[in-house]
Amino acid sequence: MSSSAAKAPRMNIRQSLALVWRTLRSMRTALVLLLVLAMGAVAGSLVPQAGTSDARIAAMFRDHPLRARIYNQLGLFDVFGSWWFTLIYTLLLVSLVACLIPRTRAMIRNLRSRPQPARELDSMRHYAERSVRAEPDRVISGARRVLRRRLFRVNGSNGSGPPSLAADKGLAREGGSLLFHWAFLLILVGIVWGKGTGFSGLAVIVEGQTWTEAHANYDGQIHEGRFFREDHSGVQIHVDSFTARYRIPSGIPEDFVTHAELYDAEGRYVKTADIRVNHPVEVEGVKFYQFGYGWAPVIDVRRDGEPLASGPVVCQQDPTPKGVSPLQLPWNCVVKLPTLRPQVGIQFRLWPDSRALFALLDKGQAMPMITEFAPVMTYTAYRGDLRAELTQSISQLDTSAMQPFKDGVIGAGDRVKLGNGVTVSFPDLKQYTVLEVKRDRGLWIELLAAILILIGLLPALYTSRRKVWVIAEPDGTGSRLRVGGFALQRRSQFEEEFAKLVDELSEPFGEKVNAP
Amino acid sequence: MSIDAWSRLSTDAFNVALYAYVAAMLGYFYFLAFRRTVVWRIASVVASAGLAANVVSVVARGVAAGRVPWGNMYEYSTLLALLVVAGHLIVVEGIYKVRVIGGFALAFAVLTMAVAVMFLYVGPGPLVPALNSYWLKIHVVAAILGSSLFALGCIVTILYLVKDRREQLAAERIVPIMGGSLELDAAPPHFEAGADEPVGGTVRRGLLPAAAVLDRIAYRTIAFAFPIWTFAVIAGAIWAENAWGRYWGWDPKETWSFITWVVFAGYLHARATSGWRGRRAAVIAMVGFVSLLVTYYVVNLWITGLHSYAGV
Repeated sequence: MSSSAAKAPRMNIRQSLALVWRTLRSMRTALVLLLVLAMGAVAGSLVPQAGTSDARIAAMFRDHPLRARIYNQLGLFDVFGSWWFTLIYTLLLVSLVACLIPRTRAMIRNLRSRPQPARELDSMRHYAERSVRAEPDRVISGARRVLRRRLFRVNGSNGSGPPSLAADKGLAREGGSLLFHWAFLLILVGIVWGKGTGFSGLAVIVEGQTWTEAHANYDGQIHEGRFFREDHSGVQIHVDSFTARYRIPSGIPEDFVTHAELYDAEGRYVKTADIRVNHPVEVEGVKFYQFGYGWAPVIDVRRDGEPLASGPVVCQQDPTPKGVSPLQLPWNCVVKLPTLRPQVGIQFRLWPDSRALFALLDKGQAMPMITEFAPVMTYTAYRGDLRAELTQSISQLDTSAMQPFKDGVIGAGDRVKLGNGVTVSFPDLKQYTVLEVKRDRGLWIELLAAILILIGLLPALYTSRRKVWVIAEPDGTGSRLRVGGFALQRRSQFEEEFAKLVDELSEPFGEKVNAP
Repeated sequence: MSIDAWSRLSTDAFNVALYAYVAAMLGYFYFLAFRRTVVWRIASVVASAGLAANVVSVVARGVAAGRVPWGNMYEYSTLLALLVVAGHLIVVEGIYKVRVIGGFALAFAVLTMAVAVMFLYVGPGPLVPALNSYWLKIHVVAAILGSSLFALGCIVTILYLVKDRREQLAAERIVPIMGGSLELDAAPPHFEAGADEPVGGTVRRGLLPAAAVLDRIAYRTIAFAFPIWTFAVIAGAIWAENAWGRYWGWDPKETWSFITWVVFAGYLHARATSGWRGRRAAVIAMVGFVSLLVTYYVVNLWITGLHSYAGV
């Protein structure tokens, strides 16, 4: 029973843990983990990812269901959130910490201690002797000055034997390397804190409207961090107008601007700002980014002069087929009239530039609609059951329990009669802007970490560790100067540096004779 | 001068640069094969002239477009070629006094420019809003500078791999006479504990500089490029935060620049890891170079992402 355990080298839990710890600490492990991380990221760029390529994922599920299922099981559609990618970088970070703790301790010890003296200089890789005309103490104090000027740390001997000193420099190399590596943990802190306490979502705001940053007012889903405690800011934004500029006739976008006024949570005016791509604005830590835009016709529906529905209606576009510019497509919106018996729903199709509709009808040609020009809407009115209990969406009409009863065209400023005293008018065309609203309190931590990474990287790569020892032995009327040196990096350069240093150490005192 | 004239000047200067680079490349290769110094000198002068034309082309392009001349792949490629050639003339020939790498550096520039003019050409024009930012100047300049240095470092790494193989074969053939060595310093380079560069093996035999010298140049070039690339990625993240509202979103360009960064970080670590120095580290650098090419060409041309508009 215990014979096999006795034969095998016994390892208790502590020893095995120590082995795991040692393995994690080794540079080789870190190196392999780095390369595995890179390979994982390659997979993430080759396989379509959820969120950015949903259509391609759906296509794969349709065309290659088996492959798609396997990919899905392996988390390949969400590589960067998958358990195994998390495992790789967690292991990498653990390995990093395991490596950094002893190195940091050694660094602190190193900073506290002084360069250690050495006696056997002539066995060193770099060694020189000079005879100089000055007594040993003067030579050593001169050497101290020279080395200090060259940014060496200098430690003089106070023991027996001839005066000597030990010097070193280049601690910044290790210090920079440590800073560089620790900063990655700071990035992690920034991500966890910033994303954890933050939120982001989309705001759809029609020209002339004011939007308040609160849970109920977002369009669609709000992405909330794990530690987010519903502390929405309550800041307000009033959109005066929106401008989209395109190059004519190519239709290349030039500028998208939301002209807005911003108010703090108490409703006090803060500033007026133009929000454009690359130029977000910020109020009380909440940032607004230009995200998209669209058209919002003002539609006024009345029965016998009494308003049933009135105001701007946000229109949306169908997904653009390949090779078609979104500028060529009309905009769809819906007005629902649940109070009428039977219920009525009207589907509108807006052409901001009516010339595009006529070009399509007359010549079958698609034309980009760059600016507003005599806008028209085609409409189809349905009657029946809106099935409001099934379709919550305000932009979609469920016509399965309805029959069309009227269709036609309505131009800006026109009014049409649907029958039963119901009229529809189209007094105005507005635009709406889509802003991404976001709070991330970790940004400054990330920025700080990025700066530390760069600050650490430079000395870690470009400074070199050097050690130099100097001994001055009494030699008749003068002294015998002995210099030894040692370099860990850029050794080929140290050859020259060392020769220069020896000259500088001996020259002020005048050389008697060159040592053999 | 009119915009059209500037645009024409840019194209003409581009062609002059390309032809000069081709000529210089041939000259450098001739020098490599036959060691005629005069041919090297001519090649060097022709390459410098090509570089001047390249500069004119880039500047004229900027004037014609009325903005910084690195807004699309054609412009980026032209600038990349410029920096690789400039890097070669200034760093490799100027500082390291190594002459034989010219042909390979110029070949890279010629390829980049040929691909640019054949597949990526677009006329000068303004930028789409997402690119219209001062971060374009900072992020793209850093990315292009980092890429050109990585490219240069990797060209030297290829030569190192070739030369190192030859030196090893030669070392196997040398039979020490009466127990002595033929050349003291002819021993293959070796590493000492804690060092990041090999010692020994600097004696030159054959066409290329000693493997140890090539290795050192490659390492220093890549070590120089790495912080610049790091900065480029950071600047890109800051720009992305401004433009798209998030600093990192695993967009294909972000992913691949991260992969490139990780692989070169691996290279720098490998050089300090026993058992990985030398050829293995060089292979990692080659992987990094491939990743760099993917980051640039494949991501822009074949993978759809937020950087797609920066394409052709």
